[in-house]
Amino acid sequence: MNYAMALDYQNCINCKACETACKEENGVQLGSHKQRIWVGIVEGTIFGKPYMNFYPSQCNHCIDAPCVSVCPTYASHFISGGIVKVDPSKCILCKGCMEACPYDARFIDDTMVAVDKCTFCDHRIDEYGTTACQATCPTKVRLFGDLDDEDSDLVKLLKTKRFFFQKEHASTLPKLFYIVPDDEPYARQSIGHNTVIHTWDEFKPKYDAARDRRSKEWKR
Amino acid sequence: MKVEISRRRFLQSSVALSVLGGTALGATNILANNSTDIKSDTALMKKIPTVCEMCVNKCAAIAQVKNGIVTKLDPNPYFPKSKNMLCARGAAGIHALYDPDRLKYPLIRIGKRGDGKYRRASWEEANEYIKEKMVKILDEEKDNRSCIGYCAGEGMAEHTYKSFMADKFGSSNFINHASICLQTTVSGYALTIGGYGQADLDNAKYVIMAGANRAEAIVTPDTMDLFKRTRGRGTKLVVVDPRFTNTVAHADKYLAIKPGTDLAFVLALTYQVLITQTYNRTYVKNNFNGFEEYKNHILQNEYTPEWAEKITGISAKEICHIASEFMANAPQSIYYQGRRSTFAKNDFQLRRAQAIFTALGGGIDVKGGIVFGRKLPLGSHDINIPMYANAKERIEKGAAAIIGGSGSWIAWRNMVTEGKTPYAIRGLFVYKQNPMLSVPNTAKTKKMLEKLDLIVVIDTMPSDTAMYADVILPECTYLEREDPIKSFAGVEPAIILRQKTIDPMYESKPVIEIMNGLAKKLSKPLWEITKKYDEDVQEELSELESGDTEEDYYKDNGFDLADAFEESQEHINEHMFREKYDEDAWKTLREKGVYYPFMDVSFEKLDNNTYKYYEEYEKNFTVVKLEDESQQEEMDTCVNPKDIAEIRRKFSTPSRKIECSLASMAKKGIASMPTWEDKDYVKVPEGKFKFISGRHAQFTQNATQNNIMLLELMNENFVWINDKDAKFRDIEFGDVIEVTSKVGKVTIKAYPTAKIVPSTIFYIHGFGAKSTGMTFAHRNGASDNEIIEDRIEPVFGSAIMHDTIVSIRKV
Ligand code: SF4
Ligand code: SF4
Ligand code: SF4
Ligand code: SF4
Repeated sequence: MNYAMALDYQNCINCKACETACKEENGVQLGSHKQRIWVGIVEGTIFGKPYMNFYPSQCNHCIDAPCVSVCPTYASHFISGGIVKVDPSKCILCKGCMEACPYDARFIDDTMVAVDKCTFCDHRIDEYGTTACQATCPTKVRLFGDLDDEDSDLVKLLKTKRFFFQKEHASTLPKLFYIVPDDEPYARQSIGHNTVIHTWDEFKPKYDAARDRRSKEWKR
Repeated sequence: MKVEISRRRFLQSSVALSVLGGTALGATNILANNSTDIKSDTALMKKIPTVCEMCVNKCAAIAQVKNGIVTKLDPNPYFPKSKNMLCARGAAGIHALYDPDRLKYPLIRIGKRGDGKYRRASWEEANEYIKEKMVKILDEEKDNRSCIGYCAGEGMAEHTYKSFMADKFGSSNFINHASICLQTTVSGYALTIGGYGQADLDNAKYVIMAGANRAEAIVTPDTMDLFKRTRGRGTKLVVVDPRFTNTVAHADKYLAIKPGTDLAFVLALTYQVLITQTYNRTYVKNNFNGFEEYKNHILQNEYTPEWAEKITGISAKEICHIASEFMANAPQSIYYQGRRSTFAKNDFQLRRAQAIFTALGGGIDVKGGIVFGRKLPLGSHDINIPMYANAKERIEKGAAAIIGGSGSWIAWRNMVTEGKTPYAIRGLFVYKQNPMLSVPNTAKTKKMLEKLDLIVVIDTMPSDTAMYADVILPECTYLEREDPIKSFAGVEPAIILRQKTIDPMYESKPVIEIMNGLAKKLSKPLWEITKKYDEDVQEELSELESGDTEEDYYKDNGFDLADAFEESQEHINEHMFREKYDEDAWKTLREKGVYYPFMDVSFEKLDNNTYKYYEEYEKNFTVVKLEDESQQEEMDTCVNPKDIAEIRRKFSTPSRKIECSLASMAKKGIASMPTWEDKDYVKVPEGKFKFISGRHAQFTQNATQNNIMLLELMNENFVWINDKDAKFRDIEFGDVIEVTSKVGKVTIKAYPTAKIVPSTIFYIHGFGAKSTGMTFAHRNGASDNEIIEDRIEPVFGSAIMHDTIVSIRKV
């Protein structure tokens, strides 16, 4: 099992149902900077004409997660499926992981006095097969699934689409797959020049090798 | 261009809420590592299907209830209208239930109106208080029941309240949200094509959305359908708006328009398709009434694209291009109806012109066009309605050409405020509505409330309006009650049921019980008044046959006000449903929260994001009766939407056809055909601004304003001002601005942006509560209706929302 998520970000309307559902599902601390999930907005004008792109985002559950490597107390750890979690009882709030994460995915939960972040809703995978943020989304931006399962809806989708990652250059082997829009102009408007575009065939061996290298750390 | 996102927040200052700590619902992640605890958790968990009431859409939800506490609201996949989603408001419904500021028990005013001083009372005391006042008022008004007005916000229990106030108590002065919302567009489409219909955005190929903002003003299933299909994915979306909204972010084409000029845009589109003869001529021949007259009207008035360019700011070339694309994609082309409307005085004409333009392409009652769908039948629930000879007709009948059963809020309020009513209005019952924030010109609403002898507010929250009540009756929230069962018309019709997820908290009650208690209290004392003044009743009583008692007459003729509210809602629902469907269907509805025929065979989960509800051939795209029923077979075998569209129909209009010209309107002084009147257009004087308002995906008007979860997403509103206009005035982001109109003044922080046309300012409706009972919403930004002028359009008396001129000043 190697859990990941595809995001058809072109569908996103920035309604923030995902943020709200995540907070309710996971009892995330209140406060607008306490987010496991967010929508990045890039807006500006081109020749005086406004444009606006939405990039829904959360923890990438990186295969080479720097937040796990940097953690002195093993509070940040992998569980099965390669999900990155924090054990609040071991967290000493050194904030090393918050520094290490290229995605700014971590924050301090003052009620637990520990770092908190997205868990891929691991507590509900068995029952629902999906996360709270995916389930609630009006335009169905997200698709959660298992990269190791060739029959999963996720892999089926990735085989038919091209995709890219945010900040791939940070080399953490992230697992939020942003689906390249079929519409050329929209793709051009919303994907940076230097972004590398991937296909499943080219991508899979690299991630399989990385998984084999790291998965001994993925305990239950 | 470089796109790398790490910045999470934009334009969202942090809410000072972290002091509250985590929600009480944080159990999940604390227990997540302990598998034994999870098991015992599951054992305590109940999942109850219900229906969201955070806005008007009524999405199906599943409440997770643990130990009597609602811990999570999940989307319910079974409902074809909501397609397995809950928006931010829907997910945050828990915080409507557990809002610490909720109204907890009946309250009786002890201070001055508006100052918020109340004492706790029992239901008995509160009802007694209302009774004493009502008896006195009704006696003085000689049993004219209409001397007590009543208003309501939209909701599944609205009808229960209405059947008490209108049918049993007998007042004709009802006002609901229609005249401050969608009256003009609903009626404009209904009178032109026979119904408001539903835009089939799942199949449309071309959509013009003008003024509507489906990414931020969520409407189901429109929002879910549309944004999966824009920009190269099946639908071409043209958005016409003075603002660059989240909807515009998805548009294939964006046209920035001057507010109040949409009608000129539609008329020019119409001109263009008439002159180029690109409309569907067979369709027009078969299904239009008064086409030649309309054509001559458009051509003679020379509503050319060049003419419209000067008015709207949209280039003539663009108008020609859109007209041709629209017709090339017809009949799967829609000029989207819109919801909260009445932008300008001509709004009814605007909506008529939109409907006729869509029909010129044949996009009515056809897949991918505006469709009517079917509705699944429900049984009836009869009530015994008494007749009151002295109850007068509603006061504002003459305020506009057609004042319907839902009234004109502004006309009604102004008559009361200015003392110009044909008879005295002495009291007001308010259910789930907040006219202090929702009706233009707040100062006048306040004046009206100060004048009345009795104000009763039924609500869940201490709103600005509640602060003017003599008696406040606490309703329970939607999660604590069963509501009347509801059947939803559509391409894929279904019946839904809102079930109670937990018992009502504190001393709150569902409306049906509130009405029952009040009715029991009022019934006999008011009957005495009827006997005293109602000559019809007196006569009939004097003619009672021997053996019949007065009590029999009272009961048989519906004067027992409580008799309609004695059965439980659960019982009424079962009865209404079982009249039409069998026991198994009832079980399905209770278990799944949703029912439609053959659900057990056709419902299918395709993947975690997609569900199938009806088989394609069972969907109700084309439902209007044909003129020649022998053509039904032809219709059923047709595959080309154009051929389907062209077959002659019998629309639900007087002539059974698309109505180009409404002669009946002309008699009332309303133009029979959509006409642009230069004199009605409100120009913006140099240095001033036009004020426009709108909605937001994280709030529902002012109803969700105190919800802590939603306030994290946006905790105050900002005024949008064109960046050049702002620069000229040295206004920067966050500067406090005073906005002044003829009727009021507010202060609000500035948001200079290129996303709004010049000479126009905007802020979101629903903010700026003044009630100190609303801890979190109190004074967070500005209320639009403090500055919107109280003007009405001439057809239905609907509030004109976007014609107020304001000046601004940095403070
Ligand atoms: S719920 Fe979906 S559409 Fe809404 S903000 Fe999240 S990802 Fe975007
Ligand atoms: S996104 Fe950040 S927090 Fe998540 S695994 Fe990667 S480095 Fe760690
Ligand atoms: S997967 Fe779960 S924890 Fe992660 S962002 Fe989505 S809802 Fe939150
Ligand atoms: S759209 Fe949102 S608030 Fe409205 S009913 Fe649906 S879930 Fe509830």
